Amino acid sequence: MNLHRYRFILARPLQLLPVLFGISIITFVLVRLIPGDPARVLLGAKSTPEAVARIRAQFGLDEPIWLQYVYFVKNLVLGDMGKSILYKMPVLQLIGERLAPTLLLILGSVILALALAIPLASIAATRRGRLADHTIRLISTAGLGFPPFWLAIMLIIVFSVKFDLFPVAGYGDTWGDRLHHLALPCFTVALALSAVITRNLRASMIAELASDHATAARARGLSERRVFWRHVLPNAVIPAINLLAVNIGWLIGGTVVIESVFSIPGMGQLLVRGIFTRDYMVVQSVAMVFACATVIVNFLADVLTVAIDPRVEL
Amino acid sequence: MPSKKFLSMCAASVFALLTVGTSIASADSVLTIGRREDGTTFDPIKTTQNVDFWVFSNVFDVLVRVDKTGTKLEPGIAESWQISDDGLTYTFKIRDEKFSDGSAVTAKDAAFSLTRIRDNPGSLWADSYKVIKTAEAKDGRTLVVTLNQPAAPFLASLAMPGASILSEKWVTEKGEDALTDHPLGSGAFELVEWKRGEKVVLKKNPNFWEKDRVKLDGVEWISVPDDNTRMLKVQAGELDAAIFVPFSRIAELQKDANLEVHLDPSTREDHLLINQRNETLAKIPVRQALDMALDKKAIVDTATFGFGDVANSYVPKGALYHNDNNLLRPYDPEGAKKLLADAGVSDLALNFIVDTGDEVQEQTAILIQEQLAKAGVTVNIAKVDPSSSWQMEIDGEYDLAINYWTNDVIDPDQKTTFVLGHDANNNYMTHYKNDKVKELVAAARVEMDPKKREAMYIEIQTIAKEEAHWIDLYYSPYRNVTRKNISGFYQNPLGRFFLEDTAKN
Repeated sequence: MNLHRYRFILARPLQLLPVLFGISIITFVLVRLIPGDPARVLLGAKSTPEAVARIRAQFGLDEPIWLQYVYFVKNLVLGDMGKSILYKMPVLQLIGERLAPTLLLILGSVILALALAIPLASIAATRRGRLADHTIRLISTAGLGFPPFWLAIMLIIVFSVKFDLFPVAGYGDTWGDRLHHLALPCFTVALALSAVITRNLRASMIAELASDHATAARARGLSERRVFWRHVLPNAVIPAINLLAVNIGWLIGGTVVIESVFSIPGMGQLLVRGIFTRDYMVVQSVAMVFACATVIVNFLADVLTVAIDPRVEL
Repeated sequence: MPSKKFLSMCAASVFALLTVGTSIASADSVLTIGRREDGTTFDPIKTTQNVDFWVFSNVFDVLVRVDKTGTKLEPGIAESWQISDDGLTYTFKIRDEKFSDGSAVTAKDAAFSLTRIRDNPGSLWADSYKVIKTAEAKDGRTLVVTLNQPAAPFLASLAMPGASILSEKWVTEKGEDALTDHPLGSGAFELVEWKRGEKVVLKKNPNFWEKDRVKLDGVEWISVPDDNTRMLKVQAGELDAAIFVPFSRIAELQKDANLEVHLDPSTREDHLLINQRNETLAKIPVRQALDMALDKKAIVDTATFGFGDVANSYVPKGALYHNDNNLLRPYDPEGAKKLLADAGVSDLALNFIVDTGDEVQEQTAILIQEQLAKAGVTVNIAKVDPSSSWQMEIDGEYDLAINYWTNDVIDPDQKTTFVLGHDANNNYMTHYKNDKVKELVAAARVEMDPKKREAMYIEIQTIAKEEAHWIDLYYSPYRNVTRKNISGFYQNPLGRFFLEDTAKN
């Protein structure tokens, strides 16, 4: 094993620092630029300007914006994300409570999407131009076209209300219960995600099936099945992994809608409410967590690519 | 074929994954209610949100309660009370009741809670209780409150959820922050668990002084933000009840044999704000013309699918001192045109800000745009998110905007002060000015004779309508749905759910 190729693992975290710094400034400033005032939201319609000023001072919102930023970064380095204005409790605790549902949702969706995409792409690629191929391509195009919230409601009506197979919505109390609750939401996300992956995977499989090394393998007398498993699939999967990593941002954005439709108490819902109530601390912290997650997933995808494909140098 | 084998393996594992789920059977008399949003805190003085208040009424008790009609006060923790002739001293007799941990509720606790809402730096309600000069316990059962000046609305303000009575000893020992998510109260239920973003779990308080009245073993307030999902959960029997039924779904749900739709009278009043910082809109005839140009019946039918009523006053129908005979300007687009022409106004173009994502508001705005066009007024609709629109209204960067108000106190003083009292908020963003109304509002606040007060509020409503301080649009009911086996589910006009009377059969 050539460890030299994994050098980038050490250098990468240092490269990430400026990225996170940039993201922190952008989210910090953007959320404050939009009209609206957290103190006013907190006080409700029946508030006086004096009360608003008092609450603003209490949360340090009357300080200059650059000073607020300095405090934010200083606290962040010390592992403190500040206090939510709406919930009046540490943002770190709020995020901690919401992390697991979102992680489970994304993980479940990715696993289901791969479980759907790999077999479908394999069938389509090996039966190129035949009925199965056309059907799979048609379905995956359709899968991209359905808006997720509509698809979610349709799935609920069919599988939960009509056939009573899954709960309509919610998160559940035990782990088994949670898997049962998350099945439909994961399936909803997986349908759209697998559509993207299937199309991509099918194309790379077709290219690999026609490649010189596949032909050479066949010439060595390997069965078509062995050629597919040993020579086609591993090579075709690499672009799909990177596609998945690139799509993680989309996936995180997508969970916001899915969490709302299926009432999953995750980070997406926390972010949406944070934005509507101008809970600055929550918005900027959740955005930072999402940004870090995206960066980490892309980093892991790079490691995986290097591990699978000996030609890649990063 | 490898793919076939792989496919079957995947199918099997997916199936296994999906079937391991077990569904929990909830105890029989635990009522599950779906609501749009989760609460934000259990500290009564640190929130102004209805989502919090509606649960506070289950967990805490107040000195004075509002009855089911939402127009009368009745004894709560205070068994009885006396008001001195000068209206400055209130003496309350505290009931012999207990907090859910078994400790006694005393006059000291009541004095502590009232002082706290007035003085605590985190209190969002301090302004409403500044009228309190002192709150002292004469003995364990006697609370004496003195005021800085006579205040007719004072007693009613004690029924607000913010003024819930807390245990002084408990708060002092556990600290302020403990109230945030595991409070101690003396209401019908006590908090067992709050899974933020998911649900609030309550159980019957065995020490509640009216415990024989409570039929449920517990209540779960479950957050289901999506309206469609929330309705589907009740239809599928996963929830016993859901609140905030969209108007568009009422007729359909009423046909479901398993469900009962409750349309309980509310104090919600939707209105059209008119920014009178705009010089044209500062002219009374122009505002009268806008009122005449609107077919309010068509608006209420569109917005509420016929479940609301045209509003004739800023004081909601059924609420204290509502003027039944207030003017309802007839729909008359031609008359409106003439009025505008007489006032020398032509080519009037107005900016109308609307909350994005609020379907009802968007439809109403389009209807208003069409109707005003018939009177020759051009309306430009701008959609902005709710927090932004509010800020724009406060900054005076609008001409027209839809807004609504729900009362959280039975006395009309709070709303009247905000809307017409010329207080610091530019008369609720309208910049309406009338010194006579200003004086009347201040006088009505200190008038202790109910008859005289009523006459004052009728006069205020009459002038406000005459001068079209804003345009009253419609009153609408609370819309809730329960399964048929739920009885006694009721929300009073101030929004309080009487879950102590609810049963699951």
